[in-house]
Amino acid sequence: MTTTLAPSPSFGTPASPSVSSATFHTVQRRLAALIPDAETVAQGGALELSGLFAQEKPRLDPPELLEDKTFRARRVEGEATVRFSAFLDGTQSSRVAQYVGGVPIVHATVAAVIRTRHERRMATWNTPLVRRRLYAPLSLLTSAVCDALGASGADLFDTTAERTLESIHPFAVQEAAFQAVQRDRAALERELGEAWCSQSDTLLFIDGGISDSALVATSPTVVGVVKSHRQLYVHGDDLGVILRLKAGERSSVCRVAPRGRSPVASWYLRLRAATGHDPLWGLVRVEIAAPAARTSTKRLAERADEVSRWILAEALPLSVPDARWDKMVYPIRDCEEFLRSIQ
Amino acid sequence: MTEPMLGRVVATERRPNTPHEFHFWTSLDSPIGIGTIVRVDGETPVGGQIVRVYGVVVEGFSYTDLQSPIHDVLGHDGSPGGASLAATQRVEIRLYTAHVLRQVPEEPLQPVPMGNVALASDEDVAIALRMDSYLKPESRTGIPVGIYRAGAMEAPIYLDAEFLLGPEAAHLNINGVSGLATKTSAVEWLLASIFAHFPEQKGSVAAICFNVKGPDLLFLDQAGQLEDADRAMYEKLGVPATPFQRVQYFAPYTAKGFTLNTLRSNEKLADNVSPLTWGLNEVMQFAEVLLNKDDIDAKADAFIDFLQERVIGREFHEAPLSTPHRVRSFGELETFFRDLLRGLEDRGGETWRTHHVATIRKVRNRLSNISTRCAGLVTDEGTVSDLPFGSFEDRTVYVVDVASVEEDAQDLIFARVVSKLREHLERRDLGVSHVVVFVDELNKYAPGDGPDTYVRKMLLDISERGRYLGLVLFSAQQFRSQVHRRVVGNAGTALYGRMDMDELATPGYAVLSAATKTKLATLEKGQLMVRHPHFAQPIFVRFPRPAVLRGRDGAERFPQAAEVTLEAAVLRSLRRLDPSLSLDWVKRTIAGHDETHVIRARNATIQARPERVQAFFEAQFRRIVPTESTPRPVAVPIRALPDDDPYGF
Repeated sequence: MTTTLAPSPSFGTPASPSVSSATFHTVQRRLAALIPDAETVAQGGALELSGLFAQEKPRLDPPELLEDKTFRARRVEGEATVRFSAFLDGTQSSRVAQYVGGVPIVHATVAAVIRTRHERRMATWNTPLVRRRLYAPLSLLTSAVCDALGASGADLFDTTAERTLESIHPFAVQEAAFQAVQRDRAALERELGEAWCSQSDTLLFIDGGISDSALVATSPTVVGVVKSHRQLYVHGDDLGVILRLKAGERSSVCRVAPRGRSPVASWYLRLRAATGHDPLWGLVRVEIAAPAARTSTKRLAERADEVSRWILAEALPLSVPDARWDKMVYPIRDCEEFLRSIQ
Repeated sequence: MTEPMLGRVVATERRPNTPHEFHFWTSLDSPIGIGTIVRVDGETPVGGQIVRVYGVVVEGFSYTDLQSPIHDVLGHDGSPGGASLAATQRVEIRLYTAHVLRQVPEEPLQPVPMGNVALASDEDVAIALRMDSYLKPESRTGIPVGIYRAGAMEAPIYLDAEFLLGPEAAHLNINGVSGLATKTSAVEWLLASIFAHFPEQKGSVAAICFNVKGPDLLFLDQAGQLEDADRAMYEKLGVPATPFQRVQYFAPYTAKGFTLNTLRSNEKLADNVSPLTWGLNEVMQFAEVLLNKDDIDAKADAFIDFLQERVIGREFHEAPLSTPHRVRSFGELETFFRDLLRGLEDRGGETWRTHHVATIRKVRNRLSNISTRCAGLVTDEGTVSDLPFGSFEDRTVYVVDVASVEEDAQDLIFARVVSKLREHLERRDLGVSHVVVFVDELNKYAPGDGPDTYVRKMLLDISERGRYLGLVLFSAQQFRSQVHRRVVGNAGTALYGRMDMDELATPGYAVLSAATKTKLATLEKGQLMVRHPHFAQPIFVRFPRPAVLRGRDGAERFPQAAEVTLEAAVLRSLRRLDPSLSLDWVKRTIAGHDETHVIRARNATIQARPERVQAFFEAQFRRIVPTESTPRPVAVPIRALPDDDPYGF
């Protein structure tokens, strides 16, 4: 269930959470009452920080170049220009609430928000989305426990309904829940992104890729900025070009078309000099709507430079103390702080 | 709730709310500031009632999400100008700390709940400061002290007369640096407010102001310049924007005795200026004020007591005095001493009535000295012109100008006036039921350290017991920390104008927050911080400029009269009794008489206030035996020689 909250500038009282959208401790207490035999986890940490789950393997994925014949570094010419008027980001937080016969029941909160910028100050656009859910492998639980989970009033998601568990190892069960939580977060981000595209014609900066939604991926007013680089869209021979980009330089524009997603135009951009850091420090990958077939290379290059200038203009203020401040622009940190405050 | 919400209460484990303190944040453009009164509406009912909390802002904080200043430096490559280039401004918070003024309901007293914060309305301010208890129409005892302002809102602030003028609490102390028209102006304004609002059923009230410096209080009956904003404040507070209607001035004479020793000597203002002169009777009771322990030991003290009980004011004749004495003035006292000491010398005695001759000489010396030290105030001939004890009038200000008087004389005036007030109030025959005594420069008269003087003891006595009598002390000083703690501690109400940071650093101000101290150190003219028994926390108010002529302006508009001749001085004094008198007549009358006799005659006339002034004044000179030349005495041999002296030369 999704809870909507009042926009920030007014001081209206947020809607009281219903049972289904209740916080972690509320659900935990209710489950403890309904399933007395269950082991309540008092000091469980966030699954996102556990490091238990296998991450995507680092790999190179050669793309189709749109701008040059081979990857090359290009100086982004012109003054950095502030153009973005909105920023979208989402967060997730999941914890094991209980173990029932050794099977973990995970509670998670996912949220997404668009923060708009007026006169250099941030405010919330429409209503941020917050969803709280229980994630449980119902096929591994007795019908009595399933009934109890249902009776808890929490929004219940069966992690075995559409996917098969690799194992009944508790970590495997948690990983399935974790992946479901990620999908839920992405869904909220997609929902907000699509809402923006259908209601506004000003520029939206999305933290992450934009190819998840066809509407967003084709919008001329949306720019996605990807901070993680486990998958690098570059041929092995051209890797050095990317890694040696200097501050204010971008790579050639290429076409990225992940499986099952919309194709987009993309390039790498160095926000800050990586001197003294690892080669990926200060490096982001930009995604915009794929150009029309008849778009000239020159026009494409101009567009890439223009968008790069917009992103470079966000280099200040620093988003410290976030550890990702080399790649994260300040308004995205603002989105995360906002979501943290309302969860 | 109609007032717009300005903030929200916040509390963390590290900075929790308590029953006496809470924290809230506001938007960056909110009109909240230090001293603003706010209202918190709780969200959870307690005992079926939503809790309302009223507080006053005492501290403010502002910060961003920046973890370290160095991050900002790094972000701008060390160039401050780069800050304006940032696309987004950092999140910034305005976080305020407020001290609780009141919680409704008052029980159970709980920590301040989370809730919305709004500016307090007029009605809220009255509740927050518990003014609602003394502003009820049927038992209203509110005395306006000023206007509280926040945003576009203005609320009158009232003091409770029962806690300002007694009997519940009493006394007022004003603190502030000099030269900012805080102390004197505040007293002038407050007296006007008291005169306008003191409830009739509580009795009558008058004020005695000691003018201790310059012309500060010398033009209270003259209209000063007011601005529209001041008039608006007067109107809102229900106080007439006019000077005091009834003012009486008193001042001793100069040492020469011709003219009054006051800056209010302009002839246009002479109508309500009276001399303040005392004789032996008036002074002896307060000899202790002028004679310190070094002067008077136990033996001398005993002799003075004897003089007071047996000699002064009655017929006294006893050996070795050559004649009976009736001592009524310093002059007659001197005659008495001269006769006594001559008699003792003639007899060769060293004691009289167990008093050693050295003690008698010492007392004679010290007492004779008084009329010299207090010349102009104390007269040798015993002429008395005093305040109208017994016939004080309601809503009248009596100003005693002691600004140009020697320190000893100031102490004597203060001690005697206050003692007389006390005596009359105890007997309920002063003429009014309450008297406000205003004393400036309190750190001089009641210092926290130094010798225990008569004046300080008297001030302590007023501050500790005066409220039961209706004797109320309004005091002022620049450094409260240097005043005796019991004097300022007993002041139920305290006003603070702009203050010196050094003074604010003293322990007496430890209860104030750093922000409140900063505000105190930068207060504008016409702003005060008020502490009052009904107010749980100090409140900042504005008060209008007094509707009276400022001392400095008055001195310019009514310049001091030039030094006048004896004839002119006598005429000016007597014309108050009979305006038809002429300078020629004065000249004729006093021709051939010395200054002392003329002044004595004038003083006697003023004291007697006869119907036929001219005749009375002339009669004073007929009693004086004219100077005659005495025949040179013929030298007479001790013993006549016999005619048949064989050894005659």
